[in-house]
Amino acid sequence: MDKKNKRRKHSQLKEFWRRFRKNRTAILGLVILAVIVCIAVFADLIVPYARCIEQVGADRLQPPNPSHWFGTDELGRDLFSRVVHGARYSLFVGVVTSLIALAIGAVLGASAAYFGGMVDNVIMRIIDVFMCVPPILLSLAVVSALGTSLRNLIIAITISCIPGNTRLIRSVVLTVAEQDYVEAARSYGTTNRRIIFRYVLPNAMGPIIVNTTMMISDMILSAAGLSFIGMGIQPPAPEWGALLSNAQTYIFTAPYLLFFPGIFIILTSLSFNLVGDGLTDALDPKLKD
Amino acid sequence: MIPVLLGVSFLVFTILSLTPGDPGSIILGITAKPEDIARLNAEFGYDRPFFVRFFTYIGNIVFHLDLGTSYATRQPVINSIMARFPNTLLLAAMAMAVECLLGVSMGIISAVRQYSVLDRVMVVVALVFASIPGFWLGLMLITVFSIRLKLLPVFGADTLRHFILPTLTVSLTSAAGLLRLTRASMLETVRQEYIRTAQAKGAGERVVIWKHALRNALIPVITSMGTGFGASLGGAIIAETVFSMPGMGTLMTNAIRQKDVPTVMGATLFLAVMFSVVVLIVDILYAFIDPRIKAKYRNEGRGRG
Amino acid sequence: MNNELLQVKNLSVQYKTDLETVYAVNDVSFSICEGETLGLVGETGAGKTTTALGIMGLLPKRTAHITGGSISYKGRELTELSKKELLGVRGKQISMIFQDPMTALNPVLTVGDQIGETLRLHNTENLSGEAIEKKVDEMLEMVGIPPERKKEYPYQFSGGMRQRVVIAIALICDPSLLIADEPTTALDVTIQAQILSMICDLQRKYGTAVIMITHDMGVVAETCDKVAIMYAGQIVEYGELKDIFTGDDHHPYTIGLFGSIPSLTKKYRRLTPIEGLMPDPTTLPAGCCFAERCSHCQEICRREKPQPVVSGSHMIRCHAADAHLAAASDFFEKDLSRG
Repeated sequence: MDKKNKRRKHSQLKEFWRRFRKNRTAILGLVILAVIVCIAVFADLIVPYARCIEQVGADRLQPPNPSHWFGTDELGRDLFSRVVHGARYSLFVGVVTSLIALAIGAVLGASAAYFGGMVDNVIMRIIDVFMCVPPILLSLAVVSALGTSLRNLIIAITISCIPGNTRLIRSVVLTVAEQDYVEAARSYGTTNRRIIFRYVLPNAMGPIIVNTTMMISDMILSAAGLSFIGMGIQPPAPEWGALLSNAQTYIFTAPYLLFFPGIFIILTSLSFNLVGDGLTDALDPKLKD
Repeated sequence: MIPVLLGVSFLVFTILSLTPGDPGSIILGITAKPEDIARLNAEFGYDRPFFVRFFTYIGNIVFHLDLGTSYATRQPVINSIMARFPNTLLLAAMAMAVECLLGVSMGIISAVRQYSVLDRVMVVVALVFASIPGFWLGLMLITVFSIRLKLLPVFGADTLRHFILPTLTVSLTSAAGLLRLTRASMLETVRQEYIRTAQAKGAGERVVIWKHALRNALIPVITSMGTGFGASLGGAIIAETVFSMPGMGTLMTNAIRQKDVPTVMGATLFLAVMFSVVVLIVDILYAFIDPRIKAKYRNEGRGRG
Repeated sequence: MNNELLQVKNLSVQYKTDLETVYAVNDVSFSICEGETLGLVGETGAGKTTTALGIMGLLPKRTAHITGGSISYKGRELTELSKKELLGVRGKQISMIFQDPMTALNPVLTVGDQIGETLRLHNTENLSGEAIEKKVDEMLEMVGIPPERKKEYPYQFSGGMRQRVVIAIALICDPSLLIADEPTTALDVTIQAQILSMICDLQRKYGTAVIMITHDMGVVAETCDKVAIMYAGQIVEYGELKDIFTGDDHHPYTIGLFGSIPSLTKKYRRLTPIEGLMPDPTTLPAGCCFAERCSHCQEICRREKPQPVVSGSHMIRCHAADAHLAAASDFFEKDLSRG
């Protein structure tokens, strides 16, 4: 306590970036993420979509070789181009579901925290009920009712992570709103709007950003999992989970079909986790004793 | 507890009632005669209003342990659940046990040896494992242990040996999360003032860690066990598909493909109720470790008595 | 009563992180005899707690480094003790009370368990479990808590009561030295006096020496035999109580400290706060640390670090004091040169 009571004032963002940059694993995550985003964005330039669906009868179940870097599947399709184009699905699903879940969770959680009383009670009791169903069951139930498609997959996994998000955002907002500086701002007559946007939100941002980053990673895994058991994106779409589901049949004869899509799922998910981890450390300097 | 269960039932019932199509046309196909379809719909009670159906459904569960009749097999859903649930429960429980053993112990070691090479390695390994999809890990385990080394069986659920790989599949990925949580919680606890008090007493590192830090650090870990079990159930559902085990996961995926709504509904509800029970048990366990919560329970009890 | 118990000599402590080095304690020396009370006074960030933790051997291992000096307790050099030897000293010979009783007790253990633990850890007399329990009861009674409450948990106690428990923990092994780190700062004013007088009573009873860390001159006046005024990691003035409170010469910071205290007896006096802030402990100035805030600041103060000026039991680290004391001889010398 006696030490470092005063720190020179740095711009917060600069200070934050300085800490983040020092974290080598986080930078590694950022690099992997950048590469995967590039792959997804420029997929058509890397390899035309036509190669994903092109079936070459002579080239069935070929192990990796110079013309087919990742080998070919049972219909003679080039696995490399399928994996490249699959990046779009995983990133898209992961980011979109997380953002929707964040938006809904923010509205529900913040209004529960802000209005309190009856509103809080009603929202949180409903959330409690949702929390009693393990996320994957909720997703399966939704898929069962709506059928399997990209849209329904997004709905299914978004619903499954809204409850957790709502709870988190509610507790973060409550914690921040209880702080003395918010009390102080209120005491000298700051408007509610200003309190929310100038005081509560900026201070609540940290944990929420970290959580969202980590959530994207989880969502990518859930989407792949559901597609793998045939409840998500359906073949012939080159989604990574669906590729693996298909490859499962050839586990004895062509294990390389399992290897590459899996590695890409891991790298994508890992990159978000690494970045999220770096964000946590950078946002919470006291952890670095 | 009961309102929550009722809420859960309502939630599941509502979602699955959104399924397009009526039982008659699902079972007999759209080519069947309309009067046959109508007869079958009446048999399943589908012609009655939503709320009547819901309360009949709940009533049947409560009074007759009847979860409805499968569209596909025309057998009581409860029978197929009871035939498969033990496998899922065993898998989830074993996975949970391994997960706690691995995750908590390694989390503690990692925190105690903070900044050591071991700690750094474990943190990175945990992060990597947390990013591996469980099913993929399962497939890799099969390739290595069953196909290459021929040590363990691949498919089925006949002996305990069949459970080894699925258990690893489910537990390794979730142990990573638990490791991170335990480590973070331990590091947070070690910074507390009462740890310094203990050190000032002359307590050695071992006493400080095992007596003073651990119990406090485990409080958030235990709180997370409830959701952890939910994750294990989820992991088990997916792992069953990988290892072709007859369990709730395979039951549900098959039922979803066949549009067998009563089976999906029954299975979902059954698992959700099991999950709620586990969460309740965890809450009680939590009270044992934290005297503040225990006192609250006791006072409530006194108030009622 | 005049045996020297603890002697700290030229102690320096730094906190090193990859971003910066904090010079927390710089060249600090003081000593304390058996049964004495030493007041360690200064504002937040002056290095009081760091000094205390240094004596206890409880500085954070990774960041804190003792860069120089010695801490000798009953002739043993504490900085050179092995981990195990140090454990035997902590709690048994030297114990410490921390500032905030709300966080200083383990929430999941009963208070009785926590008090008895000190004794169990240092059970050199092979006391039986019952004997220990009996001792715990006695100790609780001593600090004014009914022994029946030893089965209760910290959350069931108020702040003042918790601080009593903390004191019981610190004193049950009858240590020769007690370090009290702002023991009353976190408490209500009415409770503060109770706790303080209790510490003094127990000290008299057991003959314990006390290092009283505080920023409250009132507490110092009531309890201490010796006083060390700390500023920016240095002791700027050190002496017996009379030197500090009634002596003629003072460090400007000490004068400033007194100027910041409201007085009941002198009604006309206005509060005179010390302007400015303590220097950044990561980049201490080349000259006197207090120069920036000092009203008597001269050119030399910014250039050179002042050396301690000792007269009898009184030490002042100030160029002005130096000049003042040297004035006599100075005058003489000048006179000679002129002549």
